[in-house]
Amino acid sequence: MMRDELTGQIAEIPGPIKAFVLREPRRVAAMLKGAGRLLIVVGNNVKNYESEDFDAIDFVVNLAKSLNAHINVTGPLITKFREKDYNKIYLMPALETIDRLRDNTWSGFDGEGRYNMAVFIGFPYYYEWLMLNGLKHFAYKWLRTISLDPYYHPNATFTLPSMDLDKWRSFMKEVLDLVRR
Amino acid sequence: MARRLRIKIDELKTDLGVLKGVELQVGKIVEEWEEPEGPTPMPSIADLRRWDYKLLQRYKPMYMPFCDLCCLCTFGKCDLSRDKRSACGLDMATQQSRIVLLACCIGVSTHLAHARDLVEWLIERYGRNAPLDLGTQVFLEAPNIRLVTGIKPRTLGDLEDALDYVETEVARLLACCHVGMEGSNLDFESKVFHAGMLDHVAMEIADIAQTALLGFPKADPEAPLVDIGLGVIDASKPVIMVIGHMIEPSVGIIDYLEEHGLEDAVEVCGLCCSAHELTRYSPKRGKIVGPISWQVRFVRSGVPDVVVIDEQCIRTNIHEEAKKVGAVTIATSAKNMQGFPDLTHEDPDKIVELLISGAIPGAFIHEEEAEKIGEVAVKAAIKLAPKRMKYKKPPSKEEIMQIAAKCRQCGECVRACPNNLPIKEGMMAAKNGDFSKLAALHDLCVGCLRCESACPVDIPVVTVMVKAAERIFKEEKFKIRVGRGPVQDVEIREVGQPIVLGEIPGVIAFVGCANYANGGREVAEMAEELLKRNYIVTVSGCAAMNIAMYKNEEGRTLYELYPGRFDAGGLVNVGSCVANSHISGAAIKIASIFAKKNLRANYAEIADYIHTRVGACGIAWGAMSQKAASIASGFWRLGVPVIVGPHGAKYRRMLLGRKDREEDWYVYDAFTGEKVWAGPVPEHLFYAAETKEEALVMAVKLCMRASDTTKGRAIKLSNYIDLHKKFFGTLPNDLHLFIRREADIPITMKDEVIEFLKKVGWKERREVPNPTLLEELVRKK
Repeated sequence: MMRDELTGQIAEIPGPIKAFVLREPRRVAAMLKGAGRLLIVVGNNVKNYESEDFDAIDFVVNLAKSLNAHINVTGPLITKFREKDYNKIYLMPALETIDRLRDNTWSGFDGEGRYNMAVFIGFPYYYEWLMLNGLKHFAYKWLRTISLDPYYHPNATFTLPSMDLDKWRSFMKEVLDLVRR
Repeated sequence: MARRLRIKIDELKTDLGVLKGVELQVGKIVEEWEEPEGPTPMPSIADLRRWDYKLLQRYKPMYMPFCDLCCLCTFGKCDLSRDKRSACGLDMATQQSRIVLLACCIGVSTHLAHARDLVEWLIERYGRNAPLDLGTQVFLEAPNIRLVTGIKPRTLGDLEDALDYVETEVARLLACCHVGMEGSNLDFESKVFHAGMLDHVAMEIADIAQTALLGFPKADPEAPLVDIGLGVIDASKPVIMVIGHMIEPSVGIIDYLEEHGLEDAVEVCGLCCSAHELTRYSPKRGKIVGPISWQVRFVRSGVPDVVVIDEQCIRTNIHEEAKKVGAVTIATSAKNMQGFPDLTHEDPDKIVELLISGAIPGAFIHEEEAEKIGEVAVKAAIKLAPKRMKYKKPPSKEEIMQIAAKCRQCGECVRACPNNLPIKEGMMAAKNGDFSKLAALHDLCVGCLRCESACPVDIPVVTVMVKAAERIFKEEKFKIRVGRGPVQDVEIREVGQPIVLGEIPGVIAFVGCANYANGGREVAEMAEELLKRNYIVTVSGCAAMNIAMYKNEEGRTLYELYPGRFDAGGLVNVGSCVANSHISGAAIKIASIFAKKNLRANYAEIADYIHTRVGACGIAWGAMSQKAASIASGFWRLGVPVIVGPHGAKYRRMLLGRKDREEDWYVYDAFTGEKVWAGPVPEHLFYAAETKEEALVMAVKLCMRASDTTKGRAIKLSNYIDLHKKFFGTLPNDLHLFIRREADIPITMKDEVIEFLKKVGWKERREVPNPTLLEELVRKK
């Protein structure tokens, strides 16, 4: 196993089906652009990724705008998101979101049809691990998932490799640039 | 009720000779009590399945596998990914529910064995005919036992019948987990509920037995306030520390101290539920260190001289930790003997000598010999303390810096930490003489030591953290109200109506362990928010301790600020884990005392009543153990929702309602038989929240019930709306689902709510004053 495929927590050993690792920003961008109906699910820990020159909320909103994606904020950060100029931001708790996503008849926040891909960012590692695994087993026929957290998340369909935060911020900036093109 | 007749004769002189030690048992005596027996006395696995399925239709299991494989038999490992099946035919959903059942069987077995040992010990001391007197304010003394078994226990001996029943059922449930047994996930879930129901019976047996016989507070809302915190222990004295869940060792220690006039010479303190029991037994002498997560850090602080362990949730190598600081360990439960020599029948002075000399790694003295445990613990502490003073002093700054300097900054500690705490950064700062970062982690650390196991250069991370924060936390002193045990009948009579009508917005129980994602402070913050809003807040176990460990600006804890009454704005510490049965018991008592429902063996009707009328919700914010799983499942079967913290997602199955599916939320009007839409109340039965804000908003929402009057619903909605606005900035987007008529709308929020309702096309619906999920409860015309 490569170093960057070490899980975010030592004992979270993946099962037989593991994520495809996207090591290059262009691959992430391509995957997102070709995803179809896209939902970005944002946890409260996304604020932990901020730095002086990286506003995590701006990043998510700009990514969503570029992809015409829906954003589902799961916690109190919704108040910050609402300050942004984007009208496809919704609030639903994380596990309710997973429950909807595992239902192939759910037609999304706007009622226009189910999502083809769910993007996850900003959750405690173990919590996201479990959510992604629920979808891996019970929604795989209609939903692909991608984790944009700076950790290897083997239960997603696609994951980033584990990387430190500085590198991750540069990686994400590049993804955003590519998506905008 | 059937009761056994037992006759014990120590010595009988007759014309034929002398009979000694004769015990006769002649089957059972049939005894009646005033209440008619309901349909399900001592229900077996299938008897309440129909009720379970009613719940499971609303609250469908959502599985989030923690592991994709099954490795429980030699067919395996089997890959259960996606649509695959194991060699025995199980699919992923069924395997997950099977694991949940296994966890709950472990949980209920733990309380059950605890109850069995305790009852046997008490019978040995007080006899089978010792009355179960819970004080003058508790007439309905065993709501769970009465409801489930149909037994109205009057004496210690009566509890044995209930124990026999639970033991039989647990064996049946465990059998269902064997290979080639149950193949339906929903039937596994029904069995999970069964395990939970049994658990509340087992817990109640344990707690009413010890409360009745050992002089614990008996439903006393003014149970005394006692000390809690590391700073309350006088380290200059010999210190005995008890850890676990049993009372027997504490009884032995306290009694020995009192009998020998040593009360002021030795400090006795405890962690986890043993500490609750210690202070319930002796509020004057007992002190509480803190929740279970503090055990290693307290031992490493060097303060305890003798560590007395019993059972449940104890770090299994705590004796090694004790040894490192020159302390000694006494194991007291046969379920947890630690490889120590069995010295139950050895001379106490000899045991002390063996312990002090280090000739043995620790001593096992069976809990039945509580007096001997007390004597050995006290004598060992007195002898050992003067030799151990060097361990009780905080280390120098230089020592900490020296240890921290070994850190290679590999980050394995961070990956090993359940909360990914920034230990690496803390260690780097400590190396340079800044301990603040490490000290700040102290409150967030759950004390699991996984960081130390992972460290390639063997840095004792927790020790460094403890030492960095030692000067702060050794000063910390708080107050907690001693566990009061049951809720009084008169309290239920007073609050029954406002709870059922919704005028008291809800009963919220903070229960469970200390595996917090963001420290114990969040529990105190949530409790405070709800107390201010007039919820009845009941607490138990480690959660009760964490709530005590934060003060307001005036230096007072919530226990000093809020009364201990079971009433609006009351903070009710029932006690230890087994005292959780009094929380479920209070809900059952509302149905019995306030609504005058027949209780005896009438489970489904009472659960239906609680589910549709009693606005209650549990929050197990740091739930970690299998016991927490079975406690929660006992609440689920009563229709009471439970919220856990993010780590609770690892229980791998949620029970979630779908508020967007109108068809799921119909009830019968028990007067007319009409099916009426009552809304998603409560919306979920088991939910792992991501943040405390989400948990709070969810908890108040989950207190809404179908029977709420308009006034009650308005009060509940005002809390829901207000908290939602406070944390999420807007009106809840599902608000229309909870408003039946305009009169439900809180007056002060009317304009904005009506505007919202217009936008979503809301239509008025009727109330359902007599809701039920059970067709048979519809009144026959």
